[in-house]
Amino acid sequence: MNKRDLLAYSFLTVFAVFTIFSMLSMHSFGVPDENAMDQYIIDNTVEETGASNGVTAVVFDYRGFDTLGEATVLFTAVAGVILVFRRLKK
Amino acid sequence: MFLEAIHIILPVFIILAAIIAILLKDLLASVIALAAMSLLLSLEFFILHAPDVAIAEAAVGACLTTAIFILAIKATKRNEEEV
Amino acid sequence: MKGMSLIVRTIANISFPFILIYGFYIIAHGHLTPGGGFQGGAVVASGLVLMLIAYNAEWISQRIKESHLSIFESLGALSFVLLAFLGIIFGTAFFSNFLVGTESLFGGIPLDGAANINTGGIIPLMNFAVGLKVIAGLFAIVYVMAHFISKKEGKIA
Repeated sequence: MNKRDLLAYSFLTVFAVFTIFSMLSMHSFGVPDENAMDQYIIDNTVEETGASNGVTAVVFDYRGFDTLGEATVLFTAVAGVILVFRRLKK
Repeated sequence: MFLEAIHIILPVFIILAAIIAILLKDLLASVIALAAMSLLLSLEFFILHAPDVAIAEAAVGACLTTAIFILAIKATKRNEEEV
Repeated sequence: MKGMSLIVRTIANISFPFILIYGFYIIAHGHLTPGGGFQGGAVVASGLVLMLIAYNAEWISQRIKESHLSIFESLGALSFVLLAFLGIIFGTAFFSNFLVGTESLFGGIPLDGAANINTGGIIPLMNFAVGLKVIAGLFAIVYVMAHFISKKEGKIA
């Protein structure tokens, strides 16, 4: 076992220890963590936004900036693909 | 009881489809195995009460990426080369 | 790229309108049922890709031009940002829902906790904008790749 393998195995051990300890501290299956924001959105979505689908209300109203970033990512990806494949067209 | 059994059986099939997709030498069959894995994953999302993610996964993972991979295979070679 | 057999083309012709209706239903009912602009747009783009695979790239390019796709995508992105800026003028802040409760289009007030198709404020309009953007964007990727491959095959043969 040379020096490179030793380094790799030591990093793998550290990574595995952290992963196992973070998995042990996860909450149990089917019981999500609760905080005040969840209950606020569940209670007030229909009155405030008029949408009964809570996920869409969060995506387009409460967290609109996130959707703006997602739209920018999609636009950039499509522009990159078209740029690469159009150059070799002729 | 039935739902717990499904929760155990479906991930096993997902992992099996992923391993098959890695092991196959014919790249077209490998892409089909990847599409099957994506479809099973969307079923798993639906069982976990996330229908939004299930629709997006079924449309993007099982249809669009498969079409892109098949077009890429058409432009290159079909079989994986032995190194 | 030659396209596929008569059986595949017939099945694609039959199932194409149903896929389109399902996708537009997901976009239009985004604020009521699961789904939204991205999911419905991905379903409609899948239907268009089905027609692209069943027929060939030249058959599609006689009906849809690449410039139309980029115009549609830019239109979706522009109307999304424009709706967000209208929130500053008519409402309180960027992305504020200024249409809800105003009794105008999409501004109905939900009666006793039940939303319908005419409620939601700017959420349905943003769903349409993002849906248009995702349809044009995801289809443009496959369209450009298919054209690249068909040009390359024509050069070899």
